[in-house]
Amino acid sequence: MTSIREEMWKTRGILFNFAISDLRIRYRNSILGVLWSFVEPLLLLAVLFIVFSTMFKFEIPNFPIYLLLGIITWNFFKNGTTFALNSLTNRSSLMTQIYFPRSIPGLSAGITAAIMLIFELMVLGIFMAAFQFTPTITILLLPLILGLQLLLVLGVALPLSVLNVKFKDTEFIWGIVVHAGFFLTPIFYQFDMLPQAIQDVLQFSPMVQVLTMAHHVVLYGILPSVNTVLYSVGSILGITAIGYLIFRKYQARIAEEM
Amino acid sequence: MSDYAVSVKHVSKKFRLFHEKRDSIYESAAGFFQKKRHSEILQTLDDISFNVKHGEIFGIIGRNGDGKTTLLRIISKIYSADSGSVDVKGTVIPVLSLGLGFHPELTAISNIYQSSILLGFKKGDISKRVNEIIKFAELEKFADTKIKNFSAGMQMRLAFATSVLVDPDVLILDEVFAVGDINFQKKCFDTIMSFKKRGKAIIFVSHDMTPIRNFCDTVMFLKEGKVGKIGSPEESIAAYVDYLGKHPEITAKKGSVLTDLEKYEKDYLSRLKKQNK
Repeated sequence: MTSIREEMWKTRGILFNFAISDLRIRYRNSILGVLWSFVEPLLLLAVLFIVFSTMFKFEIPNFPIYLLLGIITWNFFKNGTTFALNSLTNRSSLMTQIYFPRSIPGLSAGITAAIMLIFELMVLGIFMAAFQFTPTITILLLPLILGLQLLLVLGVALPLSVLNVKFKDTEFIWGIVVHAGFFLTPIFYQFDMLPQAIQDVLQFSPMVQVLTMAHHVVLYGILPSVNTVLYSVGSILGITAIGYLIFRKYQARIAEEM
Repeated sequence: MSDYAVSVKHVSKKFRLFHEKRDSIYESAAGFFQKKRHSEILQTLDDISFNVKHGEIFGIIGRNGDGKTTLLRIISKIYSADSGSVDVKGTVIPVLSLGLGFHPELTAISNIYQSSILLGFKKGDISKRVNEIIKFAELEKFADTKIKNFSAGMQMRLAFATSVLVDPDVLILDEVFAVGDINFQKKCFDTIMSFKKRGKAIIFVSHDMTPIRNFCDTVMFLKEGKVGKIGSPEESIAAYVDYLGKHPEITAKKGSVLTDLEKYEKDYLSRLKKQNK
């Protein structure tokens, strides 16, 4: 079935348009508008900073920057996948009135999250300036790491968009996954603070690997190890391939379920 | 064969009618163990074949629930058929259930862009026509108003104007005359005729037999999901009325609301005949 892939490729130009109108709808009638994408991670940052630096006395160097990097990386994953979850169910009239490639809403949800990520990265830049933190040259690898993460987001967003039409449980199950993932990814702690046995299991999570690489290149000026790169690229390609197969299985008849 | 605008061959479609729709994993699992019959198969379309030529207005009539909208959705690729094939030459725009999938939170202009880009038209081509679309729909004052504040008639006008001005090769119209005032109906009628003259195919569904009789070149009567009759409007309407037998509501209904339109159509047709002479 190369035709679905061809169709997805041909309509790639529409994704950005669709993502922009999605953002417009998302912030309709809200006074702060797009500013919300700055406010939300900053509030979370403030809470986590107070809790973990004063109550638990974590001593992570450059903790505010460490935290913010974790929060925006996680937010990218969380936003892209949760927007995708309802991207088809919210558009039942569009789905039943005209034909368009069913991949567009799910994929453009990932693009919407990527646009929000760009705003959040600006905040990260402002933070670095404010704390007088000068990153090393390795930070230039961050876009590549986030690009890899974009592939993960799209690979998960695509199947979630159709699965949530087919099974309403998807939304609740995914809510739990995202919630648990926030605590199981080294956002407000360092990975080596965990007991070895737990580290052995959690290291299989691609988000743990992506965030570890981001920490390395932004904060410590360390290049990610070959093993880490190979494992994350391999696992993310695998997840994306499975996601595509799930999408392909359900996409043709998805309008009939609306 | 290749000179047909739309060619439908042996299309069948079954739906599962759920008596208690199961859409969570728990319900599916519980139902699996109970082995209770919870759905039945509904043969909505059964071996439908027909062709529409370029420049032809093809009417489809039949009772509610006899598969008209399902058939239109299959032609416009929204649903996929269980078996058989649909071959459409060029671009197709469906105006189904009074809309083009407009988003209530977007303005009229944004919706024109979104729907027509999704349907495969180029952004530049749409930009050139946006003003014309708004003017045709008589919505100049409301171009930047959100669709949620539009009346049904305004939405219909916008959908119709968009669909005709982006100039598709095949136009599918489902009950376009149900809303919209007499003036706009006249405009629709003129546009449909100019489409026909330019060799475009139109598939037209209506419960009102007057436009079916006056506009259509060929009419198909869908009878419980099967082809009841394909022929001239008179023949197919006769077959339909015959089938309805004891239910003559449909013939009684016309004449009351749409007298003016009927009168207009007669005028138009006689003018057209004079012109042709």
